[in-house]
Amino acid sequence: MRKRRVAFPPIYLAIVLVLMYLPILMVVLYSFNDSRTSATWAGFTTQWYEKLFRNQSMGQALLNSMQLAGWSVAASAIIGTLGAVGMSKARFRGKGAVETATTLPIMIPEIILGIAYLAIFTAIGLPLGMPALVIAHTTFCVPYVYIIVKGRLVGADPALEEAARDLGASSLRVFFTVTLPLILPAVLSGMLLSLAMSLDDLVISFFVSGPTSTTLPLKIYSGLKTGVTPEINALCTLMLGTVFLLVAFSQLMSAKRVKSEFKGGTP
Amino acid sequence: MKKLLSILLSAALLIALAATVCAEEEPKMLNVFTWDEYIDYDTILAPFFEETGIRVNYSTFGSNEEMLAKMEATGGEGYDLVLASDYVLDALRLQGLIQPLDKSKLPNFVNIKDACLGQYYDPDSAFVVPYVIGTPLIVYDPVMTGFEITGIEDLWNPALKDNVVIIDDARVVIAHVLKTMGHSFNTADPDILAQAAEKLSGLRPNIRVFDYDTPHVAMASGETAAGFMFTPQVVWARMDRPDLQVVYPKEGLGIGIDGLVISAKAPHPGNAHLLLDFLLRPEIALEIAAVQLYSNANEAAESMLPEIFLTEPSLNVPAESLADAEFLQFLGEDEALYQDIWLTFKQQ
Repeated sequence: MRKRRVAFPPIYLAIVLVLMYLPILMVVLYSFNDSRTSATWAGFTTQWYEKLFRNQSMGQALLNSMQLAGWSVAASAIIGTLGAVGMSKARFRGKGAVETATTLPIMIPEIILGIAYLAIFTAIGLPLGMPALVIAHTTFCVPYVYIIVKGRLVGADPALEEAARDLGASSLRVFFTVTLPLILPAVLSGMLLSLAMSLDDLVISFFVSGPTSTTLPLKIYSGLKTGVTPEINALCTLMLGTVFLLVAFSQLMSAKRVKSEFKGGTP
Repeated sequence: MKKLLSILLSAALLIALAATVCAEEEPKMLNVFTWDEYIDYDTILAPFFEETGIRVNYSTFGSNEEMLAKMEATGGEGYDLVLASDYVLDALRLQGLIQPLDKSKLPNFVNIKDACLGQYYDPDSAFVVPYVIGTPLIVYDPVMTGFEITGIEDLWNPALKDNVVIIDDARVVIAHVLKTMGHSFNTADPDILAQAAEKLSGLRPNIRVFDYDTPHVAMASGETAAGFMFTPQVVWARMDRPDLQVVYPKEGLGIGIDGLVISAKAPHPGNAHLLLDFLLRPEIALEIAAVQLYSNANEAAESMLPEIFLTEPSLNVPAESLADAEFLQFLGEDEALYQDIWLTFKQQ
């Protein structure tokens, strides 16, 4: 009885890890498969990578996606942070209702948001394309930054800001030297979440994208007609590799920092 | 406030001026709207750019219906060329969302096969440049089935229990069920459709896989013994498994033509005609068919096609089978009847 209880956690962990990583491993494996269909293994090849690098439209779609994510993450970081800081100080009737309204877009199904954006953009005559995409993506990214920063502010000590003001700092100075460094980790994680949301959004992007702004998810989804080739696997493998490298790098950096801090503490 | 307004106004004027200057000669751009990879970059768009200097902005949609929704919402603003299936081109034409072709700019228009012209979606051949021809077919493994399949009707055979893959497409599959009952592909009569639904439900025990985009995988891997799928999927399945047999259903064939049209509000109609005529050249049409693995729509390219177009039955459909093949047409509100039947069938 006791033994079984000890055996359970590793088994549970193994199952979860296999479920999470096996499909990803298959994607990587089949990016080297010498067959159009992923049904059978037909030998090792790097032709899909060669094809990918020659594929100009894939590069363009990736560029569009990065550009869109860059603009909308930057915009939502500014709007969301200012909103959270401002709202944490504001006192007015109906504040709760306003806060709920700003975070509601997270809960509205994407398809409804997409149709709504399409309707409003065509009604005001804004041509569909990159500007429309940035506006739409910013709108659904703001709540993520807002909620995370707001949570961080709740835990912050108001005495710090008051002390700075007592010492004669202007409110702008207080924001940049005290408040912002305090909430920076929250802003960054909000931005990362927004980045992920913006990069993989398909539904809203479909409705508001224009003739020159096809994003990567739109392009991949549209491959249904011509059959998804291992070229997509190759692309996914490269993206995965980039993500793993980034994560490894940031882990390494933080490990180093902890180490040097520890060393600095000893004489 | 006034200052800002005047700045904005002068900016708008400048843009308008720039636009009129450009109208003299179109900028070297062209906005194409179609499925991903449906116009190949290496064999078509790259040589086109080399020859004309025109850069193609390639934007994509997932299905004909998505494209139609987008074109209706925007009026086709910004798009030059749309490449999609016949029935939805018909809808675009009937709504006035596309403009007639200027044949004087299309000397290669004469290369198109006669069979692809004057069809229901474009009776006067004034709007559409046919791209490829597709005919959904049956493909099967004679060893696994143990009997010869000759038509759609055979898919009901109890020997195929849990052993069939079909494309997840309401209209195409129900149309072929109607065909086995001697009705038209485009029946909208609720009574006949109710009978078709009942007949279809008998097929459910045999269906193992519904798959729109990769049904060939189930055939290539041997997961299923028989399948009903689109042309390139039949070819892909047989590339992995040459022992699979292709059947032209004895009840009659379905046919679909994908074609290109020019949006009524195309910003670069001149460039659009340049690409259309380029696509109609025999040596380019040849690449279209060879890369996409659909049947060729270009008469002048016919003699130059690679060998697979002679040996592969799904790419070499006999003329007599094609002659009485039927198109799927857009049924408007009645499409919903088909979707209801399909949903019930799948959940059965």
